[in-house]
Amino acid sequence: MIRSIRRYEFSAAHVLARPDWSDARNRAVYGKCANPSGHGHNYRLELTLEGASGADVPLDAIVEKRVLRELDARLLNREVPAFARLVPTAENIARHIWDTLFDALAPARLVGVRLVETSNNSVEYFGSEPQR
Amino acid sequence: MLITRRLEFSASYRDPSGATRGHNWELEVTLSGPVDAETGMVIDLKDLKEVMEREIEARFDHRSLNDDTPFFRDRAPTPEGFAALVFELLDKALPSGLLHRIRLSPTRELTIEVGR
Repeated sequence: MIRSIRRYEFSAAHVLARPDWSDARNRAVYGKCANPSGHGHNYRLELTLEGASGADVPLDAIVEKRVLRELDARLLNREVPAFARLVPTAENIARHIWDTLFDALAPARLVGVRLVETSNNSVEYFGSEPQR
Repeated sequence: MLITRRLEFSASYRDPSGATRGHNWELEVTLSGPVDAETGMVIDLKDLKEVMEREIEARFDHRSLNDDTPFFRDRAPTPEGFAALVFELLDKALPSGLLHRIRLSPTRELTIEVGR
């Protein structure tokens, strides 16, 4: 099995708050991340792929067109339709990137999306949820 | 979904040969769980941070594992033994089954991984 891991970076602002909750409830659940003015991160994105090489799939062009152009230098809640109602937590952004790229990368198989939000926090998504 | 939070702390220990070692330990704690449909989070990172500070930082930061903690009275600490203890302390403090693995690095050259 050969896997390749390709890394990208983008910067985006977000507000962790549900539009259908009060400000007080959003602050209780999301803390300072609920600040309505938004705050930003330099996100590091790592895509793990199997089954094809960069020669088979124009990976950078696909990621640029479908992910980076959509997310880079945006206020996610306001400028990205997927996050109009869905709170742009790292978990939800990783899942969105997975859903956006999975079919587009065939015949390469996307097996992991790792999203590093800060040097202390990151998430990884493999396309399904663990059974509890 | 896996979610990972990092913590650094400083602690010393006397290894089985009697040598005293001090390190900036780097700890990565990874949880595995479903994303809560309401909040969009696996766990509130504040809660995870609090558990890591209480269970690990408060017990071990700027301490000697041998002299300042009750865990290594009858055996000398090793990175492997310490990592197993860190996993056990966090596993007990976190909601059942949520802890997926820890990685504990005493130096850049060595990482111990403990998982289920």
